[in-house]
Amino acid sequence: MYRRVSILMRKHFVSVLVLCVALIASLSVRAADPAKGKALFQQNCASCHNVHKKVTGPALKGVEERWSDKKLLHQWIHNSGSVIAAGDPYAVNLFNEYGKQAMPGFPSFSDADIDDILGYIEAESKVDVTTKGDGPTGTKGGDEDGGNNSLLFGIITLILAVVALILMQINSNLNKLAADKDGLAVSEPVPFYKNKAYIALTILILFVVGGYLTINGAIGLGRQKDYMPEQPIFYSHKVHAGINQINCLYCHAGAEKSKHAMIPSENICMNCHKTITDYNGPALFTAEGKKVNGSAEIQKLFDAVGFDKESKTYTRPGKPIEWTKIHNLPDHVYFNHSQHVVAGKQQCQTCHGAITEMDEVHQFAELSMGWCVNCHRTTKVQFADNKYYSIFEQFHQQVKEGKIDSVTVEMVGGTECQKCHY
Amino acid sequence: MKRTSNILIAAALVSGALLSACGKNNRKPGSHYMPDMFESRAYEFYSERLSTMKPVEGTVKRGELLPYHLKAADTALANAVKNPLILTKADLEEGKRLFNIYCGICHGTKADGNGPLYNDGKGPYVAAPANLASGAKASYTEGRLFHVMTYGFNAMGSYASQLDREQRWKIAAYVRSIQNGGANASSVLASDSTKAAPAATAATAPAAQDSTAKH
Repeated sequence: MYRRVSILMRKHFVSVLVLCVALIASLSVRAADPAKGKALFQQNCASCHNVHKKVTGPALKGVEERWSDKKLLHQWIHNSGSVIAAGDPYAVNLFNEYGKQAMPGFPSFSDADIDDILGYIEAESKVDVTTKGDGPTGTKGGDEDGGNNSLLFGIITLILAVVALILMQINSNLNKLAADKDGLAVSEPVPFYKNKAYIALTILILFVVGGYLTINGAIGLGRQKDYMPEQPIFYSHKVHAGINQINCLYCHAGAEKSKHAMIPSENICMNCHKTITDYNGPALFTAEGKKVNGSAEIQKLFDAVGFDKESKTYTRPGKPIEWTKIHNLPDHVYFNHSQHVVAGKQQCQTCHGAITEMDEVHQFAELSMGWCVNCHRTTKVQFADNKYYSIFEQFHQQVKEGKIDSVTVEMVGGTECQKCHY
Repeated sequence: MKRTSNILIAAALVSGALLSACGKNNRKPGSHYMPDMFESRAYEFYSERLSTMKPVEGTVKRGELLPYHLKAADTALANAVKNPLILTKADLEEGKRLFNIYCGICHGTKADGNGPLYNDGKGPYVAAPANLASGAKASYTEGRLFHVMTYGFNAMGSYASQLDREQRWKIAAYVRSIQNGGANASSVLASDSTKAAPAATAATAPAAQDSTAKH
C-alpha cells in the first residue's frame, strides 16, 4: 500500500510541482509588492516625487484616483510625451502646471514594476505624516535647581544669623543676671549696634564684599558671556548641526575664507528648506521652557524670502532676516576666523562650545583679552607641514635639533600687542 | 528692641538689592562703558556687512578663476567645458574634503545619494538626492557637474555663494574620480595631462588611485 502511494507520488511529482509554481507565480503577479515597489520608487522616482509632498513633481498620494484610466497612467510612466501628444486633458494640464518640464520616461519598467510602485504609494499614503516622529521631549527645567538652592542657602544663613544674635543677647543677659546675683557692679551693657567692634567688623565686611562686587561688575562691563538673545526665528543649532549632522562650514562658509564666519544668506537655508517645509523632529523648547512650533518657525523663513510652499515658487521679493549678533568684539580688536580655522586648524567648538547641543546659541567663551592671551600662551601651533609657518626657520631648526619639542602661539608672536590691536 | 528690628529690616533690604543685582538676564547683552571705544567711528573695511555682499558686477577678485559665462539652460554646452585647473594629489584631497562638507550631507560621503539628510527616506529631506556614484548621473562630465553646482538642478539649489569657482572645479574633479567605481578617473586625468606639465601628471596619477582605493 505504502509503496503504491510513493510510486504514485513519484509519477505525478513533476506535474504537482508545476502546479505549485504556477499558483505562486499567479498570486505574486496579481498582488503588488510594496517592498519591491519601495526599492524601485527610491531608485527612480524619489528624486522628484514624494508621496505626501510636492517636490519637483506632484505629490503622488491618490495618483491612481486622479488618472481616469490606469492604462494611460502606465503609458505616462513609460513615456509621458506620448500622452501629452495624444492630447489627454489631464496630462496636458499637469504638464503646463509644472512649468512644461516633462517627466523622463521609464520604458524599462514592466507593468508589474509599475503596479509594485503604485502598491507602495498606496501603502505609504495610509501613513499619517503628522504622527511621524513626535520624539522625546527636549531639555526642560533642570537649571531651575541652581536658583532654588542659592535662595535656600541665603534663607538658612539669615535664620542662623538671627539665632546667633538672639543667643548672644541671651548670653549677655545671663552674664548680667549672674553678676547681679554675685553683687558685682556692672556697667550698663552697650547695645551691639553701638559696640565699636561690631561696627568696625560690619564696615570691613561691607567694604570687602562691596569692593569685590564693584570690581567684578566693572570688569564685566562690555563682556557678554552667556548672552543668549532671542532670535527672530527659533533656529536650533542642535537640530541642524547635531541631529542632522550638517557641518558648521556648510552654512558658515566664510569661516575658512574670511575674517567673518558670516551669517548664512537665505539662499543657503533654502537649499534644504525648499523641500523640508515642516518640522518632524523632537519637540523644541525655548530657554524659558515654552514649547516651539517648528513648522511655524520654518514658515517665518518662507515669509522672509517670499516663498510659497504650496506652489514651490518665489512669489514675492525677499527681505533679510534680522538675526541678532551674539559674539561681539570691540572695534579695536582684530580677530580673523580664517586665520584660526585654516592656519591654526582650530575646531569651532574650542571657542563656541558645544554648539551641536544648543537649541538657542549662547556665548560660550568670555572673549576677554585674558581669555585670548591664555589660549595663545598654551596652544601649540601645528608647525610641521604647514606652509603658513615656513618662514620661522630658526624654530624649525630648533625642533629638528630637539632643543624644543613644540612651538606655542606666543613664540610666533601671538601675544604681541600689534597682533590684535593696530 | 524696636531699633534692632529696624536695622534688621534695612539689612534684609540691602542684601536683597545686592542679590537682585547679581541675577543676570542673559537675554540682554549687558552694559558698556564708553561704547564709542567699542564701536568706533573709524571705517571698518572688513566689516561683516561688506564681506557678505556680492562682488560688484563684472569684477574679478585677485587670484580668482575667470567668471563662468554659461547660463542655467546651457546644459549641452556645459557638458563640453573643461576643468581649467591643473590638479595635484592635494587638490583632489581638498575636493574630497569639500565634497564631504557641502555635498555629502545629501549625496552621502560615498556619493550614493544616501546622505544623513535623506537616510533611506527616514531623514527630513523628502526627495531622494541623486546617486552620483553610479547610474545616469555617473556619466556627467566635470563641466556638467560644475554647471549643476553653479546653478542647481531640480530640488538642489545653487552652491555658488558657498563655494568659489576653484572649489567647485576641485569638487567636480573629485566626484569624477570616484564615479563608476573610479572607472572614468583615467579619462579625467588624461584630459588634464594634455595641459599639465609632466611633473604635475605624475603627481595626479597616484592621487586618483588613492582616492578611489578608499571607496
